[in-house]
Parts: sequence; structure tokens; C-alpha cells
Amino acid sequence: MAEVTDLLVADAVRLGCTAADRFDAVRQAGEALVRIGAVEPAYADAMQEREQSLSSFVGEGFAIPHGTDAARALVRRGALAFLQFPEGVDWDGQDVRACVAIAASADEHVSVMSTLAQVLLDPDQAEELRTTTDPERVLELLAPAPEQDDETQQPQETL
Amino acid sequence: MSTETTVEEQVTVASKVGLHARPAAAVVKAANELPTVVKIGKDGRVVDARSMLSLLSLGAEHGDTVTVSAEGPDAAEAVAAMVALLASNLDEAS
Repeated sequence: MAEVTDLLVADAVRLGCTAADRFDAVRQAGEALVRIGAVEPAYADAMQEREQSLSSFVGEGFAIPHGTDAARALVRRGALAFLQFPEGVDWDGQDVRACVAIAASADEHVSVMSTLAQVLLDPDQAEELRTTTDPERVLELLAPAPEQDDETQQPQETL
Repeated sequence: MSTETTVEEQVTVASKVGLHARPAAAVVKAANELPTVVKIGKDGRVVDARSMLSLLSLGAEHGDTVTVSAEGPDAAEAVAAMVALLASNLDEAS
């Protein structure tokens, strides 16, 4: 199963973005996933559809736009895109400072969101993701090297 | 001895998609309307059901067993309400 650590690449990290509204932000997030080849272009349309049906705001200034369940077939490979909006985006009344766009298969979707949510629940990490001007820090926070602790003593799977 | 009553009950997540999207939104909304703080736990991780991020962090999928708990005089009522919600199909909830 893919971990968040495998999912975010430097090309998908965009800092200092601006968006007219949340649908503009979701459009940019979709474009980022298309640009890195993670999804078919139609997946970006499905992200708009999902956003219109249900806000992807999750709290702490973050939204996690992703496609509808039906659009999972348009995912070529699991990936994240990170878009930071330092001036904020009005997200149906909430203030969003960063979007983490998700492209994941049905099997991976819940575990990817779980791992991501655990990062965003850390106040210091969340604050840094909202405000950093260093793309490397985003990669370090969302795609850290595997920790050498008791939970990861199993040999790493290699493909 | 504390006079606080802790009520705890296990329930299987019924929603097809698991605890995210609409089902999670329904849980957060209900938790915020209950008279006492309800917590949901899975695999040793126990979180406040009023927070979407906290719920998502559980990674609870369809068929997973979660533990619902609450404290205080309203605990039994609150836990029963949340258990009933989790045991129902929330996929079409709005």
C-alpha cells in the first residue's frame, strides 16, 4: 500500500498561489495532479463535481480536494499535490491557507487521508505548512523519510 | 471515586465509503449537536468526534469496529445516538 511518503513530489508543491474562490483553487489543484501525470484530465472535472456536492474543508485552514468515487478509474497513480494560498481562500465561509489534493485508488484513499490528517493535526506542522516559503519543508513534512522506530522495523518493501 | 460515568460501546462502521466525506460530515455535525463530548476510537487512537481531521485520522473503513465513548450524565444518550448513526448507512446523508 502506498504511503504518503511516496505520493508527493517536488513538482506538485506550489507555494504562494492565489485563487479567486475555492473552485478556482480546486481547478489549480486538479491541474497540478494532471501536470505530474497522476490523473487523467477528466479527474480535475470530477474534483469540481465533488467540491460542489460537498466541501473538502477539513479544518485548521486546510482543504483536501479530490475526485468523486466514480472518478477513481481516472487515477493513473496515487499522488498528492500541495498548493499554498498565503492570502487565504474563502472556502464556503472558512479560511483555507493550503490545499492538499488527493489522487488515490479506492483501496488507498482512506489510509492516505488518515496519514495526511495525522500530519495536519499537529499544530506546529500545520502552521509550517500554511506559512513556509520553502518547498523542501513541505516535502519533509508530508513526505518524510521513514522513521526508524518500533513501528517501522519491518523491512521496507521494494518494488 | 469520580462521580462521572463513562459509557463505552463498540460499533461496526456501516457506511460503504468508511468514515470520510458525507458520513464523516454527518458524524461531525451530530457530535457538535450532542450535549456531551463523544469520542471515537480505533486501534488505540481515540479522537474527538467533533473534528473532521480527527475523524479522518482514524482511517476507519467500511466494516471496521470502532469504540464510541462519552462521560457524564448525558453519556449514555450521546453514545447511543452516535452508535446508531455509525451503524446506519450514511453514504447518502446530506
